[in-house]
Amino acid sequence: MTKIGLEIHCQLTKLESKLFCSCKANYREFEPNHNICPVCMGLPGSLPRLNQKAVESATSIAMALSCKTPEKIAFFRKNYFYPDLPKNFQITQLNVYGDMSIGGEGYVDVEGAKIKIRRIQLEEDPGRLIYEGESERTKITLVDYNRAGTPLVEIVTDPDFENPRQVRVFLNILSDLLENLGVAEPGLEGAMRADGNVSIEGGNKVEIKNIGSFHDLEKALHFEITRQESLSERDIEIVQETRHWDDRRKITISSRSKEEDQDYRYFLENDIPWVKIDQETITSLQKNMPESISSKKERFVEKFDIAPQVADILASDKYYFDLFENAHSDSDAKDIANLITTDLMGFVDTKEKREKSKLTSQHLSDLIAAINDKTLTRTSSKTALQEIVKSGKSVKELLSEMDLGQVSDSSEIENIIMEVFEEEKQAVLDAKENPETVNYLVGKVMQKTKGKADPTKTLELIKSKLG
Amino acid sequence: MVDEGEIIRVAKLMKIDLEDHTEHVGRVKKMLEYFDILDQIDLSSEEIVSQEKALAELRKDEFVPNDKKLIESLKNFREHYVRAPKMN
Amino acid sequence: MNLKTSILDYINDVKSGSFSVEEFTSATIQRIKDVDGDVHAYLSLNESAIDDARAIDKKISAGEKVGTCYGFPISIKDNICITGSKTTCASKILENFVAPYTATVVSKLQSEDAIVTGKTNLDEFAMGLTTEFSAYGPTKNPWNLKYVPGGSSGGSAASVAANECLASLGSDTGGSVRNPASFCSVVGLKPTYGLISRYGLISYANSIEQIGPVTKTVKDCGFLLNVIAGQDSNDDTTIDNANSDYLNDIEQGIEGKNIGIIKEMTSDGLSPEVSSATKNAIQDFEKLGAHCEEVSLPTIPYTVAAYYTITSTEAGSNLARYDNIRYGYDFESEGYEYNSYISKSRTKFGPEVIRRIILGGFVPSAGHAGKYFLKALKVKSKLISEANSAFEKYDYLISPTAPVQPFQFGEKIDDPVTLMLLDYNTVTANLTGKPAISVPYRVTDGLPIGMQIIGDGKSEKSLLQAAYALESKTDLPEVPL
Repeated sequence: MTKIGLEIHCQLTKLESKLFCSCKANYREFEPNHNICPVCMGLPGSLPRLNQKAVESATSIAMALSCKTPEKIAFFRKNYFYPDLPKNFQITQLNVYGDMSIGGEGYVDVEGAKIKIRRIQLEEDPGRLIYEGESERTKITLVDYNRAGTPLVEIVTDPDFENPRQVRVFLNILSDLLENLGVAEPGLEGAMRADGNVSIEGGNKVEIKNIGSFHDLEKALHFEITRQESLSERDIEIVQETRHWDDRRKITISSRSKEEDQDYRYFLENDIPWVKIDQETITSLQKNMPESISSKKERFVEKFDIAPQVADILASDKYYFDLFENAHSDSDAKDIANLITTDLMGFVDTKEKREKSKLTSQHLSDLIAAINDKTLTRTSSKTALQEIVKSGKSVKELLSEMDLGQVSDSSEIENIIMEVFEEEKQAVLDAKENPETVNYLVGKVMQKTKGKADPTKTLELIKSKLG
Repeated sequence: MVDEGEIIRVAKLMKIDLEDHTEHVGRVKKMLEYFDILDQIDLSSEEIVSQEKALAELRKDEFVPNDKKLIESLKNFREHYVRAPKMN
Repeated sequence: MNLKTSILDYINDVKSGSFSVEEFTSATIQRIKDVDGDVHAYLSLNESAIDDARAIDKKISAGEKVGTCYGFPISIKDNICITGSKTTCASKILENFVAPYTATVVSKLQSEDAIVTGKTNLDEFAMGLTTEFSAYGPTKNPWNLKYVPGGSSGGSAASVAANECLASLGSDTGGSVRNPASFCSVVGLKPTYGLISRYGLISYANSIEQIGPVTKTVKDCGFLLNVIAGQDSNDDTTIDNANSDYLNDIEQGIEGKNIGIIKEMTSDGLSPEVSSATKNAIQDFEKLGAHCEEVSLPTIPYTVAAYYTITSTEAGSNLARYDNIRYGYDFESEGYEYNSYISKSRTKFGPEVIRRIILGGFVPSAGHAGKYFLKALKVKSKLISEANSAFEKYDYLISPTAPVQPFQFGEKIDDPVTLMLLDYNTVTANLTGKPAISVPYRVTDGLPIGMQIIGDGKSEKSLLQAAYALESKTDLPEVPL
């Protein structure tokens, strides 16, 4: 049986400051090396100062993943030389003197399967290396330390996944959960990364690193499973090793560095005392934790009679959730939910589109109000939404400017019906014979009015004309 | 007995060039041999201890930009970047 | 004007107008010019000291508020950062390092109008106890220039003993303030771990080291502690000292106090001179009304091995950042691959630092941590328990600061084990985090001997009372320089 485990790294970009200094946690807006200070640059004489809220946010993540949280947390140094590490060690966590990392022994329910969370730890992100130059030989290595010290939560699962598809579902659940908690923005480039490990029946465990995106992770897992299976079929031993994902060739390659040369010499980071997390803190974090995705979903279904598939989308996508929660009243909740999931979704389905979008919750409630008092047809709402997303114009402005108002004036509709009857003689005859085909004529009228004709009134009028 | 080859291997991991410093190995070995005294004490009931602090005493999460353009006083390359040697 | 004065007398003289801050500062600088060619206590001098002095004089004459230090001259060990001045750690690898920030202790001193005279010599990265491992040449003992001043804060102790300043700040990882204080006949304190901010102190073994004052008198030590102690938001390991006044009640005496004479530090390994001085000191404590008896801390024989295991592990990690990529010295990376470049850059480390880095790679490594590093941490735990139970019974624990008197240059440097054992009496205070002070007690054959008093955690106030009581029993000669 195939077993897959994951190590997920997620930046706590919703924090203001880095893990051990007051530089900005979200480094993305800065010029290279302009979000650095003596602490995150590891200058001699500087000392780390742990961010209280980082500990709280990470603890919230642990609790949301049903983990046990310890009474005391400790930090360790992972020692290795690399140019993106200003101190040539990384401050991270480890469970050697008892369980003292942020959390552990949790689980996530993935389509009925229980994926166990082994450990969650809080650590600092290193800086970034940039390779510049034409060829391998002329390459220049540049370092930008803006990212160094960004708070990072590492989530380690047990090897409980049976296939890459399950991994994908899990990662979607996890991203939604982290976003819902308000601690991270998994959509930001590089804010959430994952490494995997794979073993097949009777084989050793192989770690895969250097994976750029979740999409690549799935590919890497597929590749690795196939590679191991083909070795196994030929009775070749699968060696325990770390392999790197080669993004260009889409294959995994054995890492050259020998495992035995990686001795991290973990030991306590004594510049940071052990931090006591008392029951009072846990209780207050629990109390202030945002409503969970499953509880939101349940509430939508029960309270507003929203269809479970629709409720699922609104509950798990924080963007839709915020729009919905701010737009609806008890009476129009179901309409707004359907408006979001049937008409809006196509316009705001990517991060870029969402950032550009001018749509607010107010637009949604105004649109539903307009539909309900018949100044706008349900079928025009999609056109209206498209325009709102683009321009941000108010519903009122749109109704007057864009001629989206519903046509319910009988004489106006009658004129159009006459035109249709003229053009569709055969259909008129058919409808007289068989009243069930009348919808074809209604459709034609709607087409001519670009959906603005009041459908109920149109049907009535056609029926009376047909006699 | 501490293996001298092991000391040389560790030196390399610590990025210490021992080519001209082979006399260090003997001295390090002597110190390590002295540390054997640690084998003579019973420590079975001891636990690791550390200083402790309450969560509330930690630094508050505030962004305070570094007032100096630190990069200008460090080794910099084209003003903004730090240049590292070639990675293999 | 007398450069041999204490800080407290100096402040009274300046307040009463006996001399100006500028006069005293100039005389101090002249003294440095006269003797430091021989002593070599300083690595660099503060060029603006006279300007600083004039500014304080101006405040005094204008009747403005003046800081409690009144411009007294203080030297700073060159592993403590001051904005805009070089901080070398007596290493070639930091030859040109200028920190963009000032250590908390120095900021506190400056805001109370102390004048920094300059940066003092040390064993490279504070690793050593003779200053022979300084990359810029050793400091000489002002009592006899052929003898070592102790270390690693040898420059600090020598600068105070030679009257090249009124006080100094050193750092004490395993005795680095107390040992040179003992060898140079000055007062040196290693405070409770966390009492003084380490922000701006370049780390060697950060879990046990502290900045500590070096002064001529115990009262001056209390005065300095009042200025520099206390919690600092830049150092998460600092502790609340409730704004203690260490000078107030310092003359209270030790009548009725219980003193434990540490058996393991007073039996084997002491030179006859140190042994005899220790016996006298015990008699003095008895005369002062204290009750003295022998106490055993059976873990002490293992502490030196534990100490070197822990310090080299932390040093190996703390000194990993010196890869010459972000700061350092001019050395073009073109043509080098990463590993060979940094290994080449790091050949600037001196021999003792190199050895401790190698040890620091060895003892905590996956294959060896069980034999060395974890045991060392447990020795530390066991020692703390023993010390805590001793302090249930005793107010103070005492021993000579060093097992021997100062020795000549080159005498012990060739044997690493002999060198390590010089720390035998001092490392206990670092491993337990307890405060300890070295008080000048005797000068035999022209060479000083200091006594060490160890107190319980955060008991500096009471520790200084005992130190003051012992000091009052002494009558020491003046330094012959």
